[in-house]
Amino acid sequence: MAEVNIICIGCPLGCTATLTIGDGGEVAAITGCECKAGEKYVVEEYKNPVRVLTATVVTQGSPQPLLPVRTAVPIPKAKLLPGMKVLAKTRVKPPVKIGDVVIPNLLDTGIDVASTSDLAI
Amino acid sequence: MSQLETEVFIIGGGVLGMAIARELSRYKVDTTLVEKEVDFGWGSTKANMCIVCQGGDTLEFRKEYHRSRLVWESIPLMEPLCRELDVPFKRVGELSVFFDNEGKAKFQKMKTRAESMGITTHQFIDGDTLRRMEPNINRGAIGALYDPTIAITDPVRLTVALAENARQNGVNLMTGTEVLAISRGAGAFEVQTSRGGIKSRFIVNAAGMFVDKVAAMVNADDFVVFPVRGYVAILDKKVGDLVNHEIHARPEALGEMNIITPTVYGNLIIGTPMKLARRNDFSTTREMAETTLRSVRRLVPDISERDIINSFAGFLMFRNWELGWHECVVGASRNVPRFVNVSIGYPGVSAAPATAKEVVKLLNQEGLKLEENPKFNPYRRAITHFSDLSDEEKRGLITGDARYGHVVCRCETVTEGEVVEAIGRGATTLDGIKFRTRAGMGRCQGGFCTPRIISILARELGIPEEEVTRKGDGSRLLLYKSKQLLETAV
Amino acid sequence: MTLRDVDVAVIGSGPAGMAAAIKAKETGAENVVIMERAEQLGGLLHQCIHNGFGLLYFKEDLTGPEYAHRFVEKVMDSGVRPLLQTMVVGISPHRDVTAVSSQEGYITFRAKSIVLAMGCRERTRGALNIPGGRPAGIFTAGTAQRLVNVEGFVPGKKVVILGSGDVGMIMARRLTLEGAKVEAVVEILPYVGGLIRNEVQCLHDFNIPLLLEHTVSRIHGEKRVEAVTVARVDKDKNPIAGTGRQIECDTLLLSVGLIPENELSLMAGVELAPITGGPVVDEGRQTSVPGIFAGGNVVHVHDLVDNVSWESELAGQSAAEFIIGGKRAAGRRVNLKPGRNIRYIVPHTVSGEKEVSLYMRVNEPEEDVRLKVGSIMTKTVRAVKPGEMLKLELSQAQLSKLKEGTAEIVVDCEERGDR
Repeated sequence: MAEVNIICIGCPLGCTATLTIGDGGEVAAITGCECKAGEKYVVEEYKNPVRVLTATVVTQGSPQPLLPVRTAVPIPKAKLLPGMKVLAKTRVKPPVKIGDVVIPNLLDTGIDVASTSDLAI
Repeated sequence: MSQLETEVFIIGGGVLGMAIARELSRYKVDTTLVEKEVDFGWGSTKANMCIVCQGGDTLEFRKEYHRSRLVWESIPLMEPLCRELDVPFKRVGELSVFFDNEGKAKFQKMKTRAESMGITTHQFIDGDTLRRMEPNINRGAIGALYDPTIAITDPVRLTVALAENARQNGVNLMTGTEVLAISRGAGAFEVQTSRGGIKSRFIVNAAGMFVDKVAAMVNADDFVVFPVRGYVAILDKKVGDLVNHEIHARPEALGEMNIITPTVYGNLIIGTPMKLARRNDFSTTREMAETTLRSVRRLVPDISERDIINSFAGFLMFRNWELGWHECVVGASRNVPRFVNVSIGYPGVSAAPATAKEVVKLLNQEGLKLEENPKFNPYRRAITHFSDLSDEEKRGLITGDARYGHVVCRCETVTEGEVVEAIGRGATTLDGIKFRTRAGMGRCQGGFCTPRIISILARELGIPEEEVTRKGDGSRLLLYKSKQLLETAV
Repeated sequence: MTLRDVDVAVIGSGPAGMAAAIKAKETGAENVVIMERAEQLGGLLHQCIHNGFGLLYFKEDLTGPEYAHRFVEKVMDSGVRPLLQTMVVGISPHRDVTAVSSQEGYITFRAKSIVLAMGCRERTRGALNIPGGRPAGIFTAGTAQRLVNVEGFVPGKKVVILGSGDVGMIMARRLTLEGAKVEAVVEILPYVGGLIRNEVQCLHDFNIPLLLEHTVSRIHGEKRVEAVTVARVDKDKNPIAGTGRQIECDTLLLSVGLIPENELSLMAGVELAPITGGPVVDEGRQTSVPGIFAGGNVVHVHDLVDNVSWESELAGQSAAEFIIGGKRAAGRRVNLKPGRNIRYIVPHTVSGEKEVSLYMRVNEPEEDVRLKVGSIMTKTVRAVKPGEMLKLELSQAQLSKLKEGTAEIVVDCEERGDR
């Protein structure tokens, strides 16, 4: 049995939930959460913490030096920094429309990186 | 190393060195001025109260003091000089405030002494008159000694203007050039600088806070100066109308000057506690801010720390700290011929015009031939200052050049056109732009305009943005390009 | 001098300006213009490339540029006229708006009504109180955000951030993702200044140390920042001697608060509220000057853009109604007064005639509280924090409980005795 602390971000209360983890990795108990929604969040956050990666890629041939991009949906938290290395190697050329895929299937997550803005020539 | 030759070599591009350079350009003299910073007026000239004074309280009006004489002789020269050079100059008047009869008596003594010197501009005003002139003055004030002749200017802009005019009249100006060593050769000095050797028959040492160190390079240091650090804070324009005149009272303790003055741009400046300090330590402390606020609130209680938009420390070189600042160093070295030391301490800006004339006279006495330069042109035009123009002029300007329709500094309404002009006149850094145009001097302190000015500097100077500095070597603003740190980490 | 007549002049095209302009047009104003100093509509949204925008307004998790894009399209479809690269430099109480534009020159508009939507700017005061030198490498968090997200530069690779405002924390994450090392986020207060979401996702996610009740007590370096001294503070927020430690860094970011940008409002004679730093407004967001309205961060600093849009729609609607319906009847004005642990309330007055949302902030963090609006409404809240804005909706039914002749309602944040 192990214990993990996770802060809930659902409301300004910011409960620190303590999750008791069974030997099989299952959540055996939760204490410290003030509401059901919070408990659901912290379990999800324990099992599979995900974040939207938002960043930029360097452009070529545009007056705009950078193109802002995002992952279409959240990706595993652990992929944020490796994902940045991929973005760092990427160059985009105009024209790009908002929503265009800039990097398909980032790090085999099955999730695309898409432009969040138009890129003018 | 290539050997540059010059007749007169001036060390230091502050207000004094530059006033001397410009004064020399009236004559057919081959003059070179070096400044170690990348721009002019960045030493004591910069950290300044911006007052053009008679040196009243501080000089005690004693004719035996060389410095008093230089200040008095400068008074009639300053306004015409600012007019010739298109530099802001505003006569705001001075109020020396007192809170009791003892205080009044001290100012009475000063007034009497001034009158015996022929200065008759002082008059006493009572508390009611004082409050009419300065409605926000402390209620405890019972009157003031009023001198309507006191004025304000912008010392850095004056220095830049002197530089441009000196250059226009043939003076060779070199920035980023530090003097490393001086030796006496046959009939001329050999000067080693960070940018090569220079041979010169005469040297003017106007090195500001390093005046003694430079003099010591050639054993011309027949004087002693003490570095004294002052603190100055600038207040937001929105409280600019709290005070109409330069106001001060007698310090409560040694060094605790309490001065409030408007600036030519509508801000207020407060200052300045002074203390002996380690040279070149420009850091400000909490105590400096607190002492200043405490002492100026004695004069105007509404002044608030909240309204400070910037503050900084600067150095004055004093001959005699214990006695005040009664004497200066303006003279040919007793040990070394053709070597003139120049250090005013306080008030350097006010004393600059007459000091320049005196130094030229000293050089002449040391053997410099003075033949008038018939091509000397005393006039210099300032760069455009968009916000000073009439609506009609603004309209015309933008029609002629769209860059004047692009505002880059929102607080001071400075346009791209002005920034480009400043670069054309020699600004190479963010601070250089700031002192010439006021971009970044407003209440947001560059938050908005910094990225914009960096791009304009890079474009106009033809360098990458990462090479743009705040104030010269070692002060780059943007250290890396996007993703550069990720690529190198791979 | 030629005056150009417009119906509604909206100053600024961030989320506030765009929402106000669209709504003014929808309400029936004919000639609506937005004046924007940049080359494109959207204001600071373009540099806020992170997500978290529109969760309430669009029920989607958008980034700043995406949120801007939605509104830009609406502006274009609505027939609102955008005037780009147009910097407003003056507004008169009679609603003359003077602007500088590289294309149009120096121009003056005569507006029938105005919406102030200039947003806010960053406080720089934090820097002044820090003893030490004046080296390069000190930026406000927002300036750094522009440099990193729009201009394409990373100011340095070892960074300390003073202040735990949202922009500061978001920049801590951005710089980390860009390969810089954020050595610490230093907060003088005992709690984080921004949203808890940002504390977790920007700081905890990347193990960035958060030093509460600490401040930067000295900046080292004359040319470029070389280090800062970080010290613990006492109750009066002064550094405690002997607690300082030096952190080597090349960059210091300041995230020490935002101030509504109201220089133009002052020129127009608009009365400002001392706590918010923004105009005193009624429920329709009219300022003290008839025909001049305000919405968004120019009124008070928001933490969610969704509320900025909603609030500015109110201002846009009122600005149009002001023209269409002529001058509004004075009507009833009931002052809203901040009571226990309430820092401010926007709007400052209500008429009591229609439903209204109250936006407010507390002074101190507190748990298990009851928000009480005079005797007409109470609401229990689990936790309140200064960094998170509160919104209370008052229905017409609740407002009808207001007694005739009521001049003031006090809003309190009370402790709940029942827990």
